[in-house]
Amino acid sequence: MTIPSETRDLARRLIMYEAVAINGSEPKESATLRVYEKLRQNLIAFAGVAGFQSLASRALALAKSEAASLGSVKVAADGSLRGLGEFEYQANSSKDQAEGDQGVDGEIILISRLLGLLLIFLGETLTLRLLHDAWPEADFDDHNLGHGRKA
Amino acid sequence: MSTHEKVTINKLPTGVPGLDEIVGGGLPEFSFNIIAGAPGSGKTTLAHQFVFANATPERPALYFTVLGESAIKMLRYQQQYTFFDPAKLPGSIRFINLSQVVLEQDLGAVLEEITKEVEKTNAAVVVVDSFRTMVRKPQSDMDLQSFIQRLALFLASWQATTFLIGEYSEDELRDNPIFTVADGLFWMRQTAERNSIVRKLQIIKLRGQASVPGLHTFRITDAGLQAFSRTFGLTGHKRTSPAAVRLSFGVPELDKMLGGGVREGDSVLIAGSSGTGKSVLATQFIAEGIRNGESGIVAVFEERPQAYAERAASLGLDLETPQKDGKLEILYLRPLDLSVDETMHSILEAVKKIGAKRLVIDSLAGFEMALSPGFRADFRESLYRMIFALTGIGVTILSTVEVDESFTEFPFSTYSISFLTDDIIRLRYVSIDGELRKIMVVIKMRGGNHAKDIREYEITSKGVVILGNRLTNYQGLIGGLPVHTYRSDQMQEPSVESGIKSES
Repeated sequence: MTIPSETRDLARRLIMYEAVAINGSEPKESATLRVYEKLRQNLIAFAGVAGFQSLASRALALAKSEAASLGSVKVAADGSLRGLGEFEYQANSSKDQAEGDQGVDGEIILISRLLGLLLIFLGETLTLRLLHDAWPEADFDDHNLGHGRKA
Repeated sequence: MSTHEKVTINKLPTGVPGLDEIVGGGLPEFSFNIIAGAPGSGKTTLAHQFVFANATPERPALYFTVLGESAIKMLRYQQQYTFFDPAKLPGSIRFINLSQVVLEQDLGAVLEEITKEVEKTNAAVVVVDSFRTMVRKPQSDMDLQSFIQRLALFLASWQATTFLIGEYSEDELRDNPIFTVADGLFWMRQTAERNSIVRKLQIIKLRGQASVPGLHTFRITDAGLQAFSRTFGLTGHKRTSPAAVRLSFGVPELDKMLGGGVREGDSVLIAGSSGTGKSVLATQFIAEGIRNGESGIVAVFEERPQAYAERAASLGLDLETPQKDGKLEILYLRPLDLSVDETMHSILEAVKKIGAKRLVIDSLAGFEMALSPGFRADFRESLYRMIFALTGIGVTILSTVEVDESFTEFPFSTYSISFLTDDIIRLRYVSIDGELRKIMVVIKMRGGNHAKDIREYEITSKGVVILGNRLTNYQGLIGGLPVHTYRSDQMQEPSVESGIKSES
């Protein structure tokens, strides 16, 4: 079950979108966490906390098998993430770029997996509608999401 | 207050084909409704169809899910239906999960949450699915009755049309406050009848307007629910008066026996055993109609339309061209699990589509076999409704029925349905001079005189051809084993006249 490149690109774009949005804000937030939180808020509204929590746990389990850097990350009972967002600080502070890159890759994989599950369960149209709802300013229309089957 | 000052209740489309007719033209706006039934009976799909038919960005629909099906899975499955329009999400249709509130708080908090969302969005439609799971939890601060009354009051005041969905059994109908408060109560059933599943819908209660009483069949397909009204969608149609017009059979001698042909709008039954030419005569009837500019429908159950047309071609009757010209439709109603109402729906759609004046049902035995076993018990009653409805809109129906040949009796049909028909033509074998020959007699013609003659006929390459004049020199013809009387070898003419005279 590899992640289609389109899904991974979308995850990367969402994280970049949030990174730009938080640029200059103090203290620095994790862009990935912001993406995750927006997805969480929107999904909880119609799927419930338990619905989202189970989906996120599955996404994290899939992502962990590909990214060792996610080893300490956990999904809390309310669906929020614990242990994510430290890589960016590490990369910036310790200058260990390689480790930081690995961490960021892991985060992209996690968001990709979550998007992949949405594509599997809801399909491309509804997933895009959900993303539009969470990021009304962003443009997703040119994105082929790979239909999620491969995710 | 005069009748002119009565409030107008708007009727909303249900989004379910056939259901608007059943509920009396549409669902009353701002009504508070319950959809009840066992799991798998189609409750959620019905609510979704209503929501997709009515939600707009200005007046959206709020679909509250509780402790039932996961919303993600529900959307996954529901989007397979053709009515599901993803463009309506989330602008016009919003799914809101209330599980947490229900689990952690009381009904007061649930009411508060619903109130907040409705006020925020100006929702026109509110669905709570499943309401039953919400009220199963032991209540504390607010009792159930108070909750329901406040919910109903609030949603009506906010001009929302509401559906509460719940798994209820019929035993729970009594003394349940929810059913007292509800304006509409939709009961959905799914029962196993031998090897078939029969789905039925009943409007137990609907305030403000008359719904069609009784159990209505419905089916769930890729397009969602489709309901089939017991009145076949003909409520409000005026019955046409019997016309003086006579329709030709395409068999001149038979037309004479019928006093000039079948009366328009009659229900005709051709009864006979296998091989007596019932289908041939029916085909001639429909072909003659087309020749005269009357479109027709043939509902076949025992053979495919192509085979039916090919058999007609062997009699020199072209059914291919009128099919291409839109003047004839041969309906092959797929066997098994049909309800009469579904069959009727198909026939009525075809009648409306081509403006058919003649309908052949070939045969009633095949029709019965095509039905789900559960519907066969009601076959006669259903047939009555069908014939009454179709002849009421001026369609002339010719049905064929196979009867067991007996040489001691002369039954008209095995279904005891002769009372449903205006005219009966009986075909049978007789043994004459060491040959198995065929005779025909008009048994009954309601509202008109007909010949009482017993006529011999043959099935030729041109169809049914009546031979000579009436058989006068045999006794016991209708018993199948006639005795030659040697009374006269002269065939008498003309039979119709004698028949008419004998009646007058």
